[in-house]
Amino acid sequence: MVTTVLAPVAGTAVGLAAVPDPVFSQAMVGPGSAIDPWREPGQAVAPISGTIVKLRAHAYIVMGDDGRGVLVHLGIDTVQLKGEGFRLLAAEGDRVRAGQPVVFWDPAAVEAGGRSPICPVVALDAAAGEVDGEVRGGVGAGDELFRWS
Amino acid sequence: MAADVRAIIAGLGGVDNVIEIEPCITRLRTEVYDASKVDQAALRAAGVHGVMLAGNVVQVVVGPDADTIASDIEEIIG
Repeated sequence: MVTTVLAPVAGTAVGLAAVPDPVFSQAMVGPGSAIDPWREPGQAVAPISGTIVKLRAHAYIVMGDDGRGVLVHLGIDTVQLKGEGFRLLAAEGDRVRAGQPVVFWDPAAVEAGGRSPICPVVALDAAAGEVDGEVRGGVGAGDELFRWS
Repeated sequence: MAADVRAIIAGLGGVDNVIEIEPCITRLRTEVYDASKVDQAALRAAGVHGVMLAGNVVQVVVGPDADTIASDIEEIIG
C-alpha cells in the first residue's frame, strides 16, 4: 500500500530539515517534506484523499481511509495569527479528494508579519524509512511531493 | 502511543506550576511559573514525542491529539 502525497501549495520543495522549527526539522511528529511557497496569494490543497480530521486556519490534517494522516502546516508560528489572513474553503469533517482546495492564504503576508511561510507536510507517525521518492525543487499545488509506503 | 495526561501535568511541575496551555495541532504550548520544576525525562516517559524548553515556555510535542489532550488537562487543572 503506497500513498502518494501531493504538494499542498506551489513553491520550492526544500525538505523538512530546512524548516526553522525543531518539531518539524527533527521529524518529531513524522517524516515528510516542506515547501517554501511562492509569495503570492493562493489555495492550499488536500495532500491526499480522505477526511479533514483537523482544520485550523493555519494547519490541517487529512486522514485517508487506511488511517494514515498527513499534516499540512501553513507557515511557522502561524497559530499566533489566530486565523487572520486565512480563509477556509472546506470544513472539518469534510471528505476531500487529493488536490481539492482547503484554505486560501497569502504567504507574502505571513512573511511580512515576520514569520516564515514555509509549509511542512508530514506523514504523521510514519517511520523514517516509509517515506521516499521525495521531490525537490519547483512544484505546483497538487504535484506529487513524496510517497508513503 | 497515547500520552498520559496526568503524567504530563506531573512532568510540567504539577497543577500549580502551569499558567496556561494552548494546543497547536501537534503540540502543547505551555507557560509555567518555574521552568526548573519541568521534568523533561518524565514528560518523555509520559509518551510525548519531544520537549522544548525556552525560558518559562515549554513546548510538549504530543502528536495530532494535542487539542484533546489540552482540553483534558484544562479539565483536570480547572
